[in-house]
Amino acid sequence: MCVGLSARVVSVKDGTALIDASGAKREVSADLLEELEPGDYVMVHAGVAIAKITQSDEEEYDDVMESVI
Amino acid sequence: MNDSVKTAKDIVTSYSGRKLRIMEVCGTHTHEIFRLGIRKLLPENVELISGPGCPVCVTPVGFIDEACWLALEKNCVICTFGDLIRVPGTEMSLAGARSEGAQIKPVYSPLDAVDYARENPDKQVVFLAVGFETTTPSACLAAETAKKEGLENFSLLTANKTMPNAYAALEGSADAFLYPGHVNAITGTQICEELKEKGVSGVVAGFTAGELLTALAVILKLSESGEPFFKNCYPRVVKAEGNPAAQKLIEKVMQPCDSEWRGLGVIPMSGMELREGYAAFDARKKYDMPVIKGKPNPACRCGDVLQGKCKPSDCKVFGKVCTPEHPVGACMVSGEGACSAYYQYN
Amino acid sequence: MSSNKTVTLAHGAGGKQTSELIAKVFKAHFSNPEFTADDAAVLNIGEGRLAFTTDGFIVSPFEFNGGNIGKLSICGTVNDLSCMGAKPLYMTCAFVIEEGFPLDKLEEIAAAMEKTAAEAGVKIVAGDTKVAGKGQVDKVFITTTGIGRIMDNAHTSGTFAKPGDAIIVTGDVGRHGCTILLARDEFGIEADVDSDCAPLWGTVESIYEVTGDIHVIRDATRGGVGTVLYEIAEQSDVGIALNAEKIPVDERVKGVCGMLGLEPLYLACEGRLVIFAPEEHAEKIVEQLHKGKYSKNAAIIGRVTEENKGKVVMETEIGSQTLLPQPGGELLPRIC
Repeated sequence: MCVGLSARVVSVKDGTALIDASGAKREVSADLLEELEPGDYVMVHAGVAIAKITQSDEEEYDDVMESVI
Repeated sequence: MNDSVKTAKDIVTSYSGRKLRIMEVCGTHTHEIFRLGIRKLLPENVELISGPGCPVCVTPVGFIDEACWLALEKNCVICTFGDLIRVPGTEMSLAGARSEGAQIKPVYSPLDAVDYARENPDKQVVFLAVGFETTTPSACLAAETAKKEGLENFSLLTANKTMPNAYAALEGSADAFLYPGHVNAITGTQICEELKEKGVSGVVAGFTAGELLTALAVILKLSESGEPFFKNCYPRVVKAEGNPAAQKLIEKVMQPCDSEWRGLGVIPMSGMELREGYAAFDARKKYDMPVIKGKPNPACRCGDVLQGKCKPSDCKVFGKVCTPEHPVGACMVSGEGACSAYYQYN
Repeated sequence: MSSNKTVTLAHGAGGKQTSELIAKVFKAHFSNPEFTADDAAVLNIGEGRLAFTTDGFIVSPFEFNGGNIGKLSICGTVNDLSCMGAKPLYMTCAFVIEEGFPLDKLEEIAAAMEKTAAEAGVKIVAGDTKVAGKGQVDKVFITTTGIGRIMDNAHTSGTFAKPGDAIIVTGDVGRHGCTILLARDEFGIEADVDSDCAPLWGTVESIYEVTGDIHVIRDATRGGVGTVLYEIAEQSDVGIALNAEKIPVDERVKGVCGMLGLEPLYLACEGRLVIFAPEEHAEKIVEQLHKGKYSKNAAIIGRVTEENKGKVVMETEIGSQTLLPQPGGELLPRIC
């Protein structure tokens, strides 16, 4: 239901974040995340940063698989 | 491929336990599963069913009719996610309305629709607010921004939906659910824990090849015990508490209402509408819209497809009258619609 | 010419002002011995097989990162001829210009045409100019027609692909489409992407230095590389196996596509060829392409198969197989 885009925060100002996804840049709303800082990675949907990404995908695969094996 | 993903792939491809039906309720999952050819990796005893998680697919015919009415009768500029433009209404799609002179503008974000309204004060702008919990905050931000700025030429036609009551409607359709990661990013995972208490199993899954394979492997592993289970397999994005700021915003701007799902009928309290304080931005109220009831094509079995009761190929019009170029049902329209995905990739 | 002058209906009326416009803008840029002042150009083409083609160009906006409609209108026809193994010789061009179009912009377009034609070694020998009333066309439309001589050893057609052929793309895909999408500025996205628009006769000529054994050459335009692959699979009645990981895509194009939910294989290119040739020549062709100006990241992206006739099957990153979705109509960004 929701194409999400993982992107790096370049700058944050007045509730708006400039994000960069492999060189494609856009301003998105940062209103829904507290303490967003340049360098953070976020999940973006419909022009809004909806979640901070706290781990790399590889680390996540390892953690998830370790917990069930 | 990372070692953990290799392990996950091995677990999935070599599964030989009891027969399992797994439902992905998120349309983007459906899309990625097809794009990555994951079904072709699954052994016979694992069946993946596509559920009603594509907001385009569950949007009823009448909603498109309402949008066409606003565009053609009230000369509103309709701003919409691109996916909705080709969805058939009773008489026509938005693309059809466009060829009759309606102004239909695809946007990336509801906030872009607000910008467009601000820059074009001579035009009346309506944003088509569809989507689940993931998308609803962006529509709420749009309403909130318009209210703050006192924009008089912007409103929303809402058809936002929520998942919890839909799960209840889907109970028994599958042995385990792949929960939609980006919905849980907003709502958190409490609802999944509650479903587990009720005996419903599932895992929250992300969207990359690795995330989908690990989530499927986890389902197969945890199913071994026969006990209901829940695991968050997308912890880098989904936190137990979700996104509290987004939840608060939705609570402030919108309230639950009954909502019609294409094919499933009206599910009580499964939709969201603007609260009284935002009535000025509610297109139905602003334009004094009459009740518009859509008439879906009776041969279309999108409803059964969405509930996992039949495969797209079981529908009489599938692939014959109903194709991605000429969709009859909504499931054929969006690239993530179950019928479209089935048509494209099979 | 001062920048505030515009094209008027009088420029299209056939009188003195028309002659002035032709002299100032077109003759200045297209001058060559064969450029005609008569009703038709007289050409001495000589012996051999000829290729002959025409193409209309409308693009909004008419100028973009990496080119403008003028450059595009030469490249399009030059590339169509080149794909037949034909050396482009002569072209004609017809303009339909909207009243009020800035003259300096028209001159920029003509200058781009001059430069691109010179690079491709093709002469513009005749032209036509019409001016349409405000709102009757969108700024400027150009139609070009071209004729070229087919090299003796060139025999290509969309029906000639054979099982065992390697499929080569001459560069990263989708850059032109992405550039236009960004230039329209409808989605608030910025990325440093420029169009791949380029005249490819030199590229084609260089491959024939390696071998004449080339089955198909197509330029991927509007529908992108994906559409070309489906066309060839159908016309030659063969299957195509594509290796998703080998398809060159610029990182920034990937980023834009990720944001809008688009498939780069279906974004337009204006300077990319898809080449089908027997596997044994493939490495040498790619090596040669890497030396060329417009084909530095050429790659072998797949092969032709006996099975799966009419279909394009993709090998995915996780080692499974899936069909490339069929080309659809209008490209709409999706959120869901």
